[in-house]
Amino acid sequence: MKKLLSLFLLVASASIFIVQAKAQVIVIANPSVKASDVSKNDLKDVFTGASTSLGGANVVPILLKAGTAHEEFLQAYIGKNDTSYRAGWRSLVFSGQGTMPKSLDTDSAVVEFVAHNAGAIGYIGKATPHEGVKVLGVK
Amino acid sequence: MKQKLFRDVAGTVLLALTASICLHAQEFKIGSESVQVHGFGTQGYIKTNDNNWLTMNTSGGGSGAFTDVGLNLSSQITSKFRVAAQGYDRKLGQLGDWHPQFDFYMADFRFKPWLGFRGGKVKTVLGLFTDTQDMDFDHTFALLPQSIYPTDLRDTTIAHVGGDIYGRVKLPAKYGNVAYTAYGGQRSDSKYSGYPYLLAHVAPGVSIHLNSYGGPIYGGDLRWMTPVRGLKVGVSRLNEFITGKGTFFGAPYSEWSNKDWTNQFYGAYARNRFHAESEYKRYFQQKDVFNGGTWFFADTRGWYVSGAYKLNNWLESGAYYSHYRINFNGGPLVPGGMSIDTDFTDPQKRDFDKVMTAKFSLPKNFTVKVEGHFMAGNGQAMYPDGFYTSVNPNGLKDNTNALVVRTGYSF
Repeated sequence: MKKLLSLFLLVASASIFIVQAKAQVIVIANPSVKASDVSKNDLKDVFTGASTSLGGANVVPILLKAGTAHEEFLQAYIGKNDTSYRAGWRSLVFSGQGTMPKSLDTDSAVVEFVAHNAGAIGYIGKATPHEGVKVLGVK
Repeated sequence: MKQKLFRDVAGTVLLALTASICLHAQEFKIGSESVQVHGFGTQGYIKTNDNNWLTMNTSGGGSGAFTDVGLNLSSQITSKFRVAAQGYDRKLGQLGDWHPQFDFYMADFRFKPWLGFRGGKVKTVLGLFTDTQDMDFDHTFALLPQSIYPTDLRDTTIAHVGGDIYGRVKLPAKYGNVAYTAYGGQRSDSKYSGYPYLLAHVAPGVSIHLNSYGGPIYGGDLRWMTPVRGLKVGVSRLNEFITGKGTFFGAPYSEWSNKDWTNQFYGAYARNRFHAESEYKRYFQQKDVFNGGTWFFADTRGWYVSGAYKLNNWLESGAYYSHYRINFNGGPLVPGGMSIDTDFTDPQKRDFDKVMTAKFSLPKNFTVKVEGHFMAGNGQAMYPDGFYTSVNPNGLKDNTNALVVRTGYSF
């Protein structure tokens, strides 16, 4: 019984940790993007090249090269690791159906780029200052 | 023999490792526009027990004449407009022979999610993988099911010069969405492809040398991403009007298609670490050959079922069964006075391939695949399917087992 209780507590703690980890990344967009929130499926479509629009307007995804926010974003919203994710994009590139999204080094570089480019949409760590962009809720 | 096998496989892996160290994705600017540079390359090795396969000398010590490379430049000019070009080259036994060609060069304008145009030389959308068949890194298998994607005939459907109209429409309620592509243009096969090679080696001392082979084509693809998460189904159709011109014993030679069409139906399912695919293709061609002096038809039907499971981040295991049949007939000049029949116990009229694969995904986009093929039949008929009498001068055995090792790198 004690073992069962311990197992339950372990799973419950892990679940809380995972939920908190997901909450550490936020999705940002240029103010020209009309949508104020986005479904998980639509977000996945935009960031995997399946769709180029959000709420009827064209959008351009911006990636982080690496880091915690990048890994958390891929895990929470795309369901792939970085290797599989970029392989999917390369497949679009080599079949002529897409161009690899721009990858930036830091969260602040993503904020800077998204703020100054119409239609840009990206993701950053929650703690990163993000003036000049809008935060999209993910449903 | 074992030493040679080890040396060839080790050489294959080393070559790909060297490439992975030297080559990385790049970006440069032309004026204010960023241009991305990406590329891919694979090196394979094939060993068969009896028949030589894919125009390689695969029996005996095996063959490493199985290499391809691609280099891609692309630029997203605006959120709606981009341009891209890709060069491709390969050596597959006697095919390709290091004669580079453009896979595509095109401009793409996507007005709306549901309406886009691309023009120039563009890849042809046909079934699940025609346009991505060279993306070895993205596939579980070293060789895609040859009943649908014969690698010796890659040129025949890979691209066309012309244009596509394409888009994606979200269906009402929660019925998923539909992607469509309609296209038209001109197909032009390389002289170093499987069919020209077959004609150049019709029989000992008998050659038809094609200088050109191609013609107008049009077709379309419709695929439905269903409400069932991870499930898509689709259908493709391709119509072609193909003319071949060349020489036969020094005299002008020509052939032209009267009927040439392909139907392809497919479905794919992916969920978490598992994915499965299945396709059916019928390719029918009826043509006049020898300047209209006689006629010929080939009716090929293929299907496969495949599945794979990713055991962890570096190992994926998969299997497929590929089923290929060909029925053919010809006019009075065709040797042997062939007749229509449906006796597919004849090994010349079938190739049933059972395949098992292990794919290793190593760091830095480097992959190694080890694959076993167990083939019943050789499909060696009036239209090629991997086996050619010219590289099997002592005749073809009914069955073939093959070991395929393929390494790949992309950036």
